[in-house]
Amino acid sequence: MVCCPVESMYARSAIARRPPVMMLAAVLLIAAASVATSVVAANGRVCVVDDLGRDVCLDGAARRIVALSPAATELLFAAGAGDRVRGAVDYSDYPEAARAIPRVGSHARLDMERLVAMQPDLIVAWHSGNPAEQVAPLIALGLTVFYTEPLQFEDIATSLERLGRLAGTETTADAVAAGYRAEIAALRARYANTAPVRVFYQIWDEPVMTVNDTHLIGQALQLCGGVNVFGELGRQVPRLDRESVLAAEPEAIVAGGMGEDDTDWLDDWARFKEMPAVQRGNLYFVPPSLIQRPTPRLADGTGVLCRKLERARAQR
Amino acid sequence: MRSAESRHAAAIGDAAALPGPHFGLRSRLVRTLSLLGAVAVGAILIGIAVGSVTVPLPALWQVLTGEGSALHRTLIFELRVPRVLAAFATGGLLAMAGALMQVLLRNPLADPYVLGLAGGAAVGALGAMLLGLGMVAVSGSAFTGALVSTIMVFGLAHGTGSWTPTRLLLTGVVVAAGWGALITFMLVIGPTERIPGMLYWLMGDLSYARSPWAALGTLAIALAVISPLGRSLNVLARGPMQAATLGVAVRPLEWGIYIAASLLTAAAVTTAGTIGFIGLIVPHMLRLMFGADQRLLLPAAALAGGTLLVLADTLARIVIAPEQLPVGVITALLGVPTFLYLLYRSRF
Repeated sequence: MVCCPVESMYARSAIARRPPVMMLAAVLLIAAASVATSVVAANGRVCVVDDLGRDVCLDGAARRIVALSPAATELLFAAGAGDRVRGAVDYSDYPEAARAIPRVGSHARLDMERLVAMQPDLIVAWHSGNPAEQVAPLIALGLTVFYTEPLQFEDIATSLERLGRLAGTETTADAVAAGYRAEIAALRARYANTAPVRVFYQIWDEPVMTVNDTHLIGQALQLCGGVNVFGELGRQVPRLDRESVLAAEPEAIVAGGMGEDDTDWLDDWARFKEMPAVQRGNLYFVPPSLIQRPTPRLADGTGVLCRKLERARAQR
Repeated sequence: MRSAESRHAAAIGDAAALPGPHFGLRSRLVRTLSLLGAVAVGAILIGIAVGSVTVPLPALWQVLTGEGSALHRTLIFELRVPRVLAAFATGGLLAMAGALMQVLLRNPLADPYVLGLAGGAAVGALGAMLLGLGMVAVSGSAFTGALVSTIMVFGLAHGTGSWTPTRLLLTGVVVAAGWGALITFMLVIGPTERIPGMLYWLMGDLSYARSPWAALGTLAIALAVISPLGRSLNVLARGPMQAATLGVAVRPLEWGIYIAASLLTAAAVTTAGTIGFIGLIVPHMLRLMFGADQRLLLPAAALAGGTLLVLADTLARIVIAPEQLPVGVITALLGVPTFLYLLYRSRF
């Protein structure tokens, strides 16, 4: 996501090279498609629109699904289609059953032969994470690809619903999506009018990396009443030096880590005694898999984050 | 690096004086090239037969004779054959370009990338990736970058003074350093999720090869055009003075080599990113094995370079499958010990 939201990126790559009349037709098609997000025809054919605005159609429920990101695997399990996932990529570790799924390489480099040999009827790809030069040939081979690219909280709910349609597990998927929406709405209501807390969120250590306000984690910070000290930066995942973090004087520092309970990054900040966050003891750890993956568990992660910021408010 | 015998042969371009006592040039050429050709065909067959999914030999035979299951046909014809042919073409192009650059610059350390062409191509490709453009744009942009760099180095090396290999080499190395700085800058400002793709392109990876035909065509045309120049190249390798004395039009020949090597490298880089090592090591290996006669060396480089890259890419696909290694890791792992062994054994 360098420059532009997904819709305009799609428009540029797929439509811009065509003559104006076709372009108009294509725009109308996309507009029409996005009005009706899913259509179930009488003959069992299911169509949904993926996160790039493409129509993805299946003749009947997907039986053999390959998920090309850990988050896609998790979304499919949450949508009730976990038993249909025949292939996954490295780090697909949640839920526990996902660990046993045969691998097709890493999200950045796929083993094309193993993937094709699984004869998937649906591939759930990650647009900004999977290499375009590997996914494009899959589409050219006639395989059905559903692109995910969740940009906000609501996209996770609609991803669940759309994957549920494709897998024929609407009942589970819709219920999980509704539950997730309710959790997010409850958090939003609870923290809507709380006092702002100046936060620095660290997603990586060497180099120090944070997120801006457009990132999902940035949106979670805002929901909790946090003010991201680097929220205005232009890049979604800015790289920083430690000086600029000191200069920003955050009241709280929230970090993930290399593992689920690794607080080394926070311990490193503790040596800067003059920082408000250190003086007040507001160095908080949030398990990275809860908040860094666009899945329904983001509601739990956001809840944890909000409670940490609530504590920071109390320690003023 | 060259024996006195082959030096003598190179200088006078005389078939009878070539190393290999009992054979004339023609039979020696035919013998060596058919050997290398057979090895190349074997490597290509291995590359097609082996993959991270096992296709049993009977099934493979059925596919090759036009039968077999739809899945096996897809695996072989849509995935393996294009990739193996692209690997062969890319390896051949790089090895030939390397051999040409070593003659042009009269420097054993010269490789296809020494004059900054890879840097220009990389800046073009990474720029297109940064903008989120598709693979066609990345290839086109890499090719444009390679040509821009070539023309720039050529123009600057020409300058106001004389045009010497040293001047060309220095200009190229400095331009390459400039491109290197731009590449680092792009990697730093690039969005995190695009970094792996950019690094794989820089390391060279056959996943980027979409169709082998452009590269194979370039290789075939290059062989047809450059092979007849072997005798003049032999003379040029001895130095421009001797070449001029022996009636070779040195300046046009040098320009021709430069343009040809650049086009070959650009075609290779456009197909599979900047695969290193092959262009430097394959020509040297062949010189150690068969002597320095360019009439033999250039076609042999095309065959041996292609063979090495096909074998390396086959290993890269299966060694830790389903994880995929960048092919450059394997080319170096295969090439370094082979080269060191040849060098250790050689009498030069």
